[in-house]
Amino acid sequence: MGESSEDIDQMFSTLLGEMDLLTQSLGVDTLPPPDPNPPRAEFNYSVGFKDLNESLNALEDQDLDALMADLVADISEAEQRTIQAQKESLQNQHHSASLQASNFSGAASLGYGTNVAATGISQYEDDLPPPPADPVLDLPLPPPPPEPLSQEEEEAQAKADKIKLALEKLKEAKVKKLVIKVHMNDNSTKSLMVDERQLARDVLDNLFEKTHCDCNVDWCLYEIYPELQIERFFEDHENVVEVLSDWTRDTENKILFLEKEEKYAVFKNPQNFYLDNRGKKESKETNEKMNAKNKESLLEESFCGTSIIVPELEGALYLKEDGKKSWKRRYFLLRASGIYYVPKGKTKTSRDLACFIQFENVNIYYGTQHKMKYKAPTDYCFVLKHPQIQKESQYIKYLCCDDARTLNQWVMGIRIAKYGKTLYDNYQRAVAKAGLASRWTDLGTVNAAAPAQPSTGPKTGTTQPNGQIPQATHSVSAVLQEAQRHAETSKNATVTRLQDKKPALRNHHDPAVPRAPHAPKSSLPPPPPVRRSSDTSGSPATPPKAKGTGGGGFPAPPDDFLPPPPPPPPLDDPELPPPPPDFMEPPPDFVPPPPPSYAGTAGSELPPPPPPPPAPAPAPDSARPSPAVAKRPPVPPKRQENPGHPGGAGGGEQDFMSDLMKALQKKRGNVS
Amino acid sequence: MAGMKTASGDYIDSSWELRVFVGEEDPEAESVTLRVTGESHIGGVLLKIVEQINRKQDWSDHAIWWEQKRQWLLQTHWTLDKYGILADARLFFGPQHRPVVLRLPNRRALRLRASFSQPLFQAVAAICRLLSIRHPEELSLLRAPEKKEKKKKEKEPEEELYDLSKVVLAGGVAPALFRGMPAHFSDSAQTEACYHMLSRPQPPPDPLLLQRLPRPSSLSDKTQLHSRWLDSSRCLMQQGIKAGDILWLRFKYYSFFDLDPKTDPVRLTQLYEQARWDLLLEEIDCTEEEMMVFAALQYHINKLSQSGEVGEPAGTDPGLDDLDAALSNLEVKLEGSAPTDVLDSLTTIPELKDHLRIFRIPRRPRKLTLKGYRQHWVVFKETTLSYYKSQDEAPGDPIQQLNLKGCEVVPDVNVSGQKFCIKLLVPSPEGMSEIYLRCQDEQQYARWMAGCRLASKGRTMADSSYTSEVQAILAFLSLQRTGGGGPGNHPQGPDASAEGLNPYGLVAPRFQRKFKAKQLIPRILEAQNVAQLSLAEAQLRFIQAWQSLPDFGISYVMVRFKGSRKDEILGIANNRLIRIDLAVGDVVKTWRFSNMRQWNVNWDIRQVAIEFDEHINVAFSCVSASCRIVHEYIGGYIFLSTRERARGEELDEDLFLQLTGGHEAF
Repeated sequence: MGESSEDIDQMFSTLLGEMDLLTQSLGVDTLPPPDPNPPRAEFNYSVGFKDLNESLNALEDQDLDALMADLVADISEAEQRTIQAQKESLQNQHHSASLQASNFSGAASLGYGTNVAATGISQYEDDLPPPPADPVLDLPLPPPPPEPLSQEEEEAQAKADKIKLALEKLKEAKVKKLVIKVHMNDNSTKSLMVDERQLARDVLDNLFEKTHCDCNVDWCLYEIYPELQIERFFEDHENVVEVLSDWTRDTENKILFLEKEEKYAVFKNPQNFYLDNRGKKESKETNEKMNAKNKESLLEESFCGTSIIVPELEGALYLKEDGKKSWKRRYFLLRASGIYYVPKGKTKTSRDLACFIQFENVNIYYGTQHKMKYKAPTDYCFVLKHPQIQKESQYIKYLCCDDARTLNQWVMGIRIAKYGKTLYDNYQRAVAKAGLASRWTDLGTVNAAAPAQPSTGPKTGTTQPNGQIPQATHSVSAVLQEAQRHAETSKNATVTRLQDKKPALRNHHDPAVPRAPHAPKSSLPPPPPVRRSSDTSGSPATPPKAKGTGGGGFPAPPDDFLPPPPPPPPLDDPELPPPPPDFMEPPPDFVPPPPPSYAGTAGSELPPPPPPPPAPAPAPDSARPSPAVAKRPPVPPKRQENPGHPGGAGGGEQDFMSDLMKALQKKRGNVS
Repeated sequence: MAGMKTASGDYIDSSWELRVFVGEEDPEAESVTLRVTGESHIGGVLLKIVEQINRKQDWSDHAIWWEQKRQWLLQTHWTLDKYGILADARLFFGPQHRPVVLRLPNRRALRLRASFSQPLFQAVAAICRLLSIRHPEELSLLRAPEKKEKKKKEKEPEEELYDLSKVVLAGGVAPALFRGMPAHFSDSAQTEACYHMLSRPQPPPDPLLLQRLPRPSSLSDKTQLHSRWLDSSRCLMQQGIKAGDILWLRFKYYSFFDLDPKTDPVRLTQLYEQARWDLLLEEIDCTEEEMMVFAALQYHINKLSQSGEVGEPAGTDPGLDDLDAALSNLEVKLEGSAPTDVLDSLTTIPELKDHLRIFRIPRRPRKLTLKGYRQHWVVFKETTLSYYKSQDEAPGDPIQQLNLKGCEVVPDVNVSGQKFCIKLLVPSPEGMSEIYLRCQDEQQYARWMAGCRLASKGRTMADSSYTSEVQAILAFLSLQRTGGGGPGNHPQGPDASAEGLNPYGLVAPRFQRKFKAKQLIPRILEAQNVAQLSLAEAQLRFIQAWQSLPDFGISYVMVRFKGSRKDEILGIANNRLIRIDLAVGDVVKTWRFSNMRQWNVNWDIRQVAIEFDEHINVAFSCVSASCRIVHEYIGGYIFLSTRERARGEELDEDLFLQLTGGHEAF
């Protein structure tokens, strides 16, 4: 464990070294922990690591403590709010993403939060953006460009900022977050904060950074239902929160982080799935021999055409009869449109087939030990069920194969039929990630060699060999290219995300920047129009402020600006560490302009009682969230609904928002 | 110069008389007689012919066809000797381009002028250029099937014949676009109509006609088609095609390169038509569920093309438009100058509230406790459905609240019986709950149904697609009203298709026997919902679904493997050869082209021998089609697999002919 703390240490120094070398593209990826854990805490730790040399476990606990503190703070705030917003608190359904639940669920989450260790998933869904919990907040800080602007530009800029701000708030207000406990393969666990926009891929990336594993493509998030004895891997494109919100509150389900070679087996050895002559022995030996080029062309043929090709798969499987522990053997066929079986006395021509199930509404799971549990003929079982079903039900379909090979073929075949090309895209991203990671590790070891001599030994021992694994499967240049591509794409992705966070970021700091406007406005009721007009009036104030703070700290334009933010902590290290209040101060400096306009906005919503500044006192980490939190509840429901409107809910909305951001950027580009 | 003679009239050079008929292979045709020598060049002969005919006419397309040798004399610098022409040669001086009637993939007939002198490969390329179909290498021509002499001369009710024979395309240049179509189509109303015929999907066929058309009943029937392919290395004239003959134009190789809806309207449409007819005529089999999806797509495509929404402004990302709208709204809002309801309308999520009758099936059905439908006050907001005992209790706790996200929505409708039910299978941790909502009329049903459908996908009624979804449902209901006819009535009369649509036109005839129309429509309705797709997207989706059928893209030929005593079927697909049992239809063995070393054809004994990696050798003789067709199929697929995106549309014709030809030597 001491070793891992050194790893972090080393990561930082590496990072510093690289900062100069690397341009934004890589910089994004080397950004230190876009860590879903309370960043503030993380921040401190990373800074103080040299002295503390704490175990990673301790850090985890601390994280949890911090989390808890936030939660408590949220709740006390929420209690105050409840009076104001009693109506809204009615719908406290933890499934419903409905925002009105906010206040209440804040309270509910306390109980939940305490469960963290016990249940593995604790949840608080809220419109309170608990600042410390927000991963990227402190790191990115790319705010409005502090370049000199003409009057009109400033106005246009201010306006654009405000629109953006409003949109951000709308979005932020709706973001649902979960604390999840992930079981590692060494029986330890890690708790992470996952927000509803994160895909399994993002969570994996987080875990990669936390664990310094080799990042190969086999790593996956794996969900286990102990009650049903079923399990499956998350597909990389799946939305984690969405999946988890199907779990019941008292669930025993767990999330694991482990390597499963089945995950992308088809892309490593497509011939086993596409060219397997069922039951014919001759093919088995030849299968292993396929060379890389043929594999590639096979994949190309199967996944890159106008439509993907689902492996031809058919054979007798056992089907568990509804409600009984008896199994019936039937002849099943896999087609792109679903699984079919041959009815009694019919042939297996297409026209005779009967549809067994279509994939739109079901997920596929491996069944474990169903031989014991359900008297299955073998232990090679797979299960199809609607993701929301959590208990035994006649709507769960159990199938059993003769051997492991057949099982894997069916599971993979069904996944291909269900997800199509997405699966291949996921794989390519995973490969890129793996390539990037191995490259990064290499760089890291080289650069870090000097400063972190002692730790290099153990580190190279652990990480590097692993890091090379992906390289074994792909040519180096390919990896590099892939890595590069990844760097580029992820840069774009990150940029948007960073901007998404911006308002929240400002949220953070505006307590530290008390503004005149907020006192008078606080008494105002929160009808959105009024508030916005106040924004407009406040806008002129923005630019100077922006120049003042942003210019002083980091004059770079926001978007290109990604890499730098992390380093400051280490730089400031000497002064920073001990007194939290001190620590509090710096952010506003290098954090670019906490846009005053926002402060105005925030202020208007601020309830009279707690003036933000007092917060810094003893426990900033936990105290700070409260002002931020306090701002949220009164947010008029109307506004909250807004994001849901154009794009619908969930993913759609997300796209909508990021598109909107793009549109905005474009617009701004035109103006200036 | 041939024809020098003495004063007495004796020829003093070695010249002789050559008789050339003018016209197209018609022995009655007028003829001219020329005096030539063996040294005369073809060019000179042509000149003489024209002089002799002495008629003002554009002769530039004319050339000499040597009947006995079945050969065009196209090399103008060759001498008669080099061609080996003697005085007994029967030569015809006729046009190289002659009209033929093409039966397009959409089954429409089109008259145009095709080259009778170029190898078919080039002739098809020229035709495709005229029709603006990219990648002509994927298409080829078939002979029309021989008409069985029908006892009754009942049919052929004056089919519309499109004519493009007047259109001549300048060579070499890609036709420019004019008014949304290639310029050469915009000359006249007639050609414009022709372009629309090419680029827009045709309405569903008459179910009666569909039943009458021949359908393959067995694998060996499916081999028939493939015996009719023309040889792509020889010209039409050499293959005995005459002016005015009917030829079928079809996609021959099922390897569609770079299918792009934006640049390829004609290609996409024709491909869709071919896929559609394949399915309707059961050339390719699919399951019932798949057929319903195909039918739903056809219905949707037909609706779009009828309503003329072909230009599809929706081609641009509609999400982005919403975005702009949202953005400007917000902007306006921020400046405080717009009426407040703008934001309201933007942010309010519409909800449905109404009295509906609900029937709930308990999760564990107790014995016969069917209480039937009960009236409830139902509120549908976002994706959640709540119902209350009465409207008064609405602010309180609902009897039940269901989040429809991820649920299954099944229509249970009988228009003539005025039954409009929505069956919901709502997932919950314990399993699925089954609930029926009974609506009073079509309007109510359409609104709620559309809401449920969107909710099941996690979207709300605020979604932009809501209105169109409602419209689509209403339209389908009205189809059922008109198409369904009375109970049990087989709707084949002309009045059944008065509304322009009959569900039987959307499915293969075997489903006509299996389902009554009123059973069929709900099945089509419930099949994947496609109402939001644009025309091109829907066509592409159709093609993709077609491509994912396991039997897609297999051309069947009857062969006899070396050492085998019975005929078997050889399936040729774009990546493999399949040996199929003729009687049962089971796949016996598959060989992939990627493992193929070489293939040889012995033209004398009509045998194809193929060598694969690891010394696997396969040899067979061809029974149903000539081995040239098999050879060309294999070579063609190999050729298609060499195409690269970077090279664009330019074709390596030599390579193609090298891979598919080669038998001229024999």
